[in-house]
Amino acid sequence: MNSTATFVEKGTLWQRFISFINKIGFSPLGLALLLIVAVLPNFYPFSQEYVIRWLIMGAFLAAQSVAFDFTAGYINIVNFGFAALLGLGAYTSGIFANTTPFLLYAPGLSPWITIWIGALVAGLVGFVLGILTLRMRGIFAAVMAWFVGIALMGLVNNLTDLTRGPLGMNPVKFIETPNNLPYFYIILSMMVLIYIVLKLIVGSNIGLAFKAIGQNPDAARASGINPTKYLVFNFTLSAFFAGLLGGFYAHFFGSLTPSTLMHTSKTVEILAIAYIGGRGSLWGGIAIAFPFVFFIEFLRSNLSSLPGIHMVIYGVLMVSIMIYYPNGFSGFYFWAVAKIKSLLKK
Amino acid sequence: MTKETSEGPMITVNILHRLKDNLPVVVVSIFSIVLFIMIGFKGGAPQLFNVIVTGGMWALLATGLALVFGVMNIPHFAHGESFMVGAYVAYFTFTPINKTFLASGSKFLLYLGPFLAIIAAGLAGCVLGIIIEKIIFAPLRHRTKEGWVMNAFLLTVGLSFILTNGTTLALGPNFRGISRYFDVPSLEIMGAYIAVDRIVAAAIALVTIGLLWFFLRRTKTGRAIRAVSQDETGAQLVGIDLDFIQTLTFSLATGMAAISGASLLFMFQAYPTVGLTPLYFSWYVVMLVGLGNIAGAIVGGFIVALLQSGTQLFIGLSWQSVVPTVVMILVLMMAPSGIFGSEVKGVQEQ
Repeated sequence: MNSTATFVEKGTLWQRFISFINKIGFSPLGLALLLIVAVLPNFYPFSQEYVIRWLIMGAFLAAQSVAFDFTAGYINIVNFGFAALLGLGAYTSGIFANTTPFLLYAPGLSPWITIWIGALVAGLVGFVLGILTLRMRGIFAAVMAWFVGIALMGLVNNLTDLTRGPLGMNPVKFIETPNNLPYFYIILSMMVLIYIVLKLIVGSNIGLAFKAIGQNPDAARASGINPTKYLVFNFTLSAFFAGLLGGFYAHFFGSLTPSTLMHTSKTVEILAIAYIGGRGSLWGGIAIAFPFVFFIEFLRSNLSSLPGIHMVIYGVLMVSIMIYYPNGFSGFYFWAVAKIKSLLKK
Repeated sequence: MTKETSEGPMITVNILHRLKDNLPVVVVSIFSIVLFIMIGFKGGAPQLFNVIVTGGMWALLATGLALVFGVMNIPHFAHGESFMVGAYVAYFTFTPINKTFLASGSKFLLYLGPFLAIIAAGLAGCVLGIIIEKIIFAPLRHRTKEGWVMNAFLLTVGLSFILTNGTTLALGPNFRGISRYFDVPSLEIMGAYIAVDRIVAAAIALVTIGLLWFFLRRTKTGRAIRAVSQDETGAQLVGIDLDFIQTLTFSLATGMAAISGASLLFMFQAYPTVGLTPLYFSWYVVMLVGLGNIAGAIVGGFIVALLQSGTQLFIGLSWQSVVPTVVMILVLMMAPSGIFGSEVKGVQEQ
């Protein structure tokens, strides 16, 4: 009697737990995988410094793809200036954290504060970009964002007093440590934070409005959704998180140049990951990014006689997925789950 | 008598009305003329000639872009890679040809060499266009038309990624260029010395655009292309082979981009990512005048070249990517579908 009561209570507790993690966007499997990734760098083959760096790269790309997919997968506008917004956040944060004087003044704030300043500035530019692209349909908006991105890169190249232009600047690091492990936990928590925030938003009514606008702006307007509000909100938030991630990049690598950070090809890399992961899922990019980084690094180290082969594979994968499997990895996952369930029922 | 008096104000009202309707066109025309005169004063004849050379090339690239968008509704992001392929083909044909011709000692052959290289590049571009269309766009087109514009755009992005990195893989990231095609002294025009290469490049651009214009207006196939761009279903109903027309259009556009890449080899050395600047400026032209507007793209090429040259002269070379964007934003705020407007069907629906 007593044991069944506790069992029931346990069951409800378990169910409440499941419904809670579902609410913040995790399935039990997803959460388990995330925990595995989180403890991974403490065990041998993964505790080597260069492997931790790969994991950091993976989390960095994953977080970017989440922020990117928030725009591309929901309101169906490819933000082609994404990398430039990220770079803007990185440079702003780097400048505010700089201890060497520029324009007769050295702010020298803590990087923990400046990454938020960088994120705010990037968010502001995202806000302006959202207003600019308001009246434009998909492709026009993408090209407009691209132009704004190129202009931002030109600006960074030209304001040599602030950014040292193409020479590159060296922002201070978060923590003075030779270990990469702290950085891994910083970026991992950033990734989880971004994922949960964005997932909560797309799970609410706002997310429905995004999807409606993405499918047909006129129909959305006719059914009482104000596209202006949602579009600008979406762009602002996506840019804000891009800027935040840029801040991490600045204070992790400790070196910034416009062409390695803000170039169009960087946006395309993120686009590839987000699309291979599956549009409109947010988690698809995360699931793809980690294995992808390992795969790419594996290729790079084994095919070092063929520099750039990993990029070609990126492109071929993206094009073939676009043509033959537009749902991406998340679409495949849902298909497989449905298939297994129907088999079990039989 | 009474008729005239009643018509007089009517005409003025009419003109005012038309002026108001075409405000962006008027503003841009006046702006361009003023800029042209200012550049003429500050930079003199060489600068003006520079505007014609780059303007012609941007026009050539932008017409290809406009053609592909107008007929096939593909926002072509790999257009710069066609330019890159043209530059490489021209380099790899020109260097050996020039060596043999130099050995033969014949002046005529030496002058012929560059043209052979440019023609070879154009042909290679056409073939590349056919291959890309048949492998990538035809399968997608036959499978689904849903969300076509966006999907096609992303496909071309992936394609550009593959082509750039594939080139790096095959040929390495080295720069391959020539200092000049024609080893002759510069010509003197209006008191300024202008390299023969530039004159030839401008001539090639203008002749190619002229030929394209003639082809589209006067030949049966050209008319079929325009028919498809106006109404796909209608064109199919009167018996136009849609597949053929679309492949032809794509290969023409790629060929033209390759020709401009080849004839500008002395300015843009061939390297894997050389296409980004031409891509950027041709997109800029097309957005400025209205997507898919071919006649507009020709005019727009020169407007953008003026703007570029003006930025370079009055503000500084490195601001070339910032100033045009600001101008573009202002123009698109005034006229969201470009200066001359876009007549492409299907863009608004997708």
